Amino acid sequence: MTSMRQQRIPPLVAKQAGSPEVTAVVEPSTSAGAPAAVQRPERPRPPLQSYLLLALVAVAAFAFFWWTREDTSVLFIPLGFTTLWAPQWPLIGFAVMLAVLVLCWLTRTGAMAAFGALAVVIMSYWAGASIHFLDRIVEVPQRLTTGNTRDQLLGYLNPDWSYLLFSNVAGTSRPIWGEWLITLCMAVVATLIGCFIGLLLAMLASPVSSPNKATSQTVKAINSVVRSIPDVGWALLFAAFIGGTAYGLGALAAVLALIMFNIGIVAKLLGESVDAVALGPLEAADAAGANLVQRDRVAVLPAVMPSFVSYSLYVFELNIRASAALGVVGVAGIGGELSRQIGRMSQGYENVGAILWALVLVVLLVDLLSMWIRRKLL
Amino acid sequence: MITFENVDVVYPNGFKGLSSVNLDIKQGEFVAIIGLSGAGKSTLIRAVNGLVPYTGGTLTVGDTVVDPRNKSKLRQLRARVGMIFQQFNNVGRISVLNNVLIGRSAATPTWRSLIGWYGAEDKEIAFQSLERVGIVDKAYNRASALSGGQQQRVAIARVLAQDPEVILADEPVASLDPPTARQVLGDLRRIQQDLGITCIVNMHHLDLARDYADRIIGMRGGEVVFDGPTAEATDSVIEEVYQRSLTAEDVAAVEVPVKLDELAPAADDDLHAATADPAAGGETGGKP
Repeated sequence: MTSMRQQRIPPLVAKQAGSPEVTAVVEPSTSAGAPAAVQRPERPRPPLQSYLLLALVAVAAFAFFWWTREDTSVLFIPLGFTTLWAPQWPLIGFAVMLAVLVLCWLTRTGAMAAFGALAVVIMSYWAGASIHFLDRIVEVPQRLTTGNTRDQLLGYLNPDWSYLLFSNVAGTSRPIWGEWLITLCMAVVATLIGCFIGLLLAMLASPVSSPNKATSQTVKAINSVVRSIPDVGWALLFAAFIGGTAYGLGALAAVLALIMFNIGIVAKLLGESVDAVALGPLEAADAAGANLVQRDRVAVLPAVMPSFVSYSLYVFELNIRASAALGVVGVAGIGGELSRQIGRMSQGYENVGAILWALVLVVLLVDLLSMWIRRKLL
Repeated sequence: MITFENVDVVYPNGFKGLSSVNLDIKQGEFVAIIGLSGAGKSTLIRAVNGLVPYTGGTLTVGDTVVDPRNKSKLRQLRARVGMIFQQFNNVGRISVLNNVLIGRSAATPTWRSLIGWYGAEDKEIAFQSLERVGIVDKAYNRASALSGGQQQRVAIARVLAQDPEVILADEPVASLDPPTARQVLGDLRRIQQDLGITCIVNMHHLDLARDYADRIIGMRGGEVVFDGPTAEATDSVIEEVYQRSLTAEDVAAVEVPVKLDELAPAADDDLHAATADPAAGGETGGKP
């Protein structure tokens, strides 16, 4: 094989024996009898028709955006003898679409990829226009520097640390920092239980490790339902079922909500890790006469253990963060205190600011801790 | 010991893996199966322990008829039939000892496996197996940290921990370098003879088969086309199995140590080939 290549294509630079300083450049096709070198192919040009079709799509999008526009500003284009006009934003969008198509044509991009690029432009125009994104975002600097927002911002930037460290929760003798502890404990309990159940469900959901297809499909469906309800949704549900802070059960409602939230995440992510596990060791366990539980334990679990630890730490972080949001629905922990402070925001933003900054700090610390654990374990 | 009576394997996609195979493998025999890729070697081996369910005929191991549909009976069978794979199939992230203990699965209650608490007796068996393959010093190393030859020894130890009557080996040495391949196969042969285990081994290399096996089975297109003692497996017979003349690669698994100056021209050739490669690649790419 190698010798055949040798004959067909001589080395470009051949060293002459005996006179090492002389180098001769040998042209590839000069040697007689060698087959003619085949031209290197050029990148094929995509069919023009498909690009014309794409241009038609761009025109249609332009017409649609013209028709549905709410901003009536118009751009005038003087041509000397007459002046054309067009709606400003749709025209700019159309220009971008055409520019994308031209760029794709010049780089000989395939029709499908060009369609993808065009679709991205059209989708972002449509989505942005529907929520008046550009109109609103240009107002932001002005909003930040005037009126209420300015005071709020200043409050956030001057957090009242003494409130956070030395005050009690309004109407009780519990210190504020105790709420942080409750939040942390909620996160720990929810992570432990949620990740364990998530692990079991992931094992049942993946066709690799579940007893049969029916089980895996069913569990997958259950997982989707669990995942489709957001954490706040679960908190509302549990607060309604078993009562919120008012009954002294706020922490339980929050923990149950976080558990469901964690099950959804871990079962989904870990289920995909299990899907991707190497099948060789599983076959070896099968061949050794292991039953399904044994096989999952000895061959699947060790393989997904790093992912599991990693996801669990991630979920722990999420729990700390989520418990702040859960406070809004009246559950315990720092979230509850945060929502109380938001309720009395008209009296100043320093307290909310202190909680938010502390939240950033705590999440950062948890992140560092989990990074350290991950490094030690894996 | 192992009897194939008109055994057929038809895969779910309709591919015929084995067609009416008749074999009788005796207790304590070391059988090598040779044949080209796709000849049905792996299918034959995997039919024995039900990893590939056979679709026709009767397959018997000892007194037991292999029943691919009866899962608990299949597990009982697999406890007696160990299997070694080309890619070792060890669990990389756990210790060598725990890998060997996987072989004790069938003899261990599920709850013990679940919490990873094996009995002293199981551990003793695992250590004895590791001693037999000579890597007991690695017992607490991670399996993935071992070399290829050591990993295959771990796999053999795992199989020995099952206390098997039969060992199936699917290309056990194909991922190993030639000297290591000989060592591992030699270990397998020695252990097999010591313990009187029946052994069926798939092989690429003819000379390994000739050196280690009692009996050679040649396969082509899912059928057994040669079956006889090793002495009868002459070159012409094997050429008949392969349906082509033997090449150096078929036979030479271990070269005589080559001197460095003999190697030199070849290495030089390779260098040139590498320089010319982009052009050659472009050329072949341009052809329809």
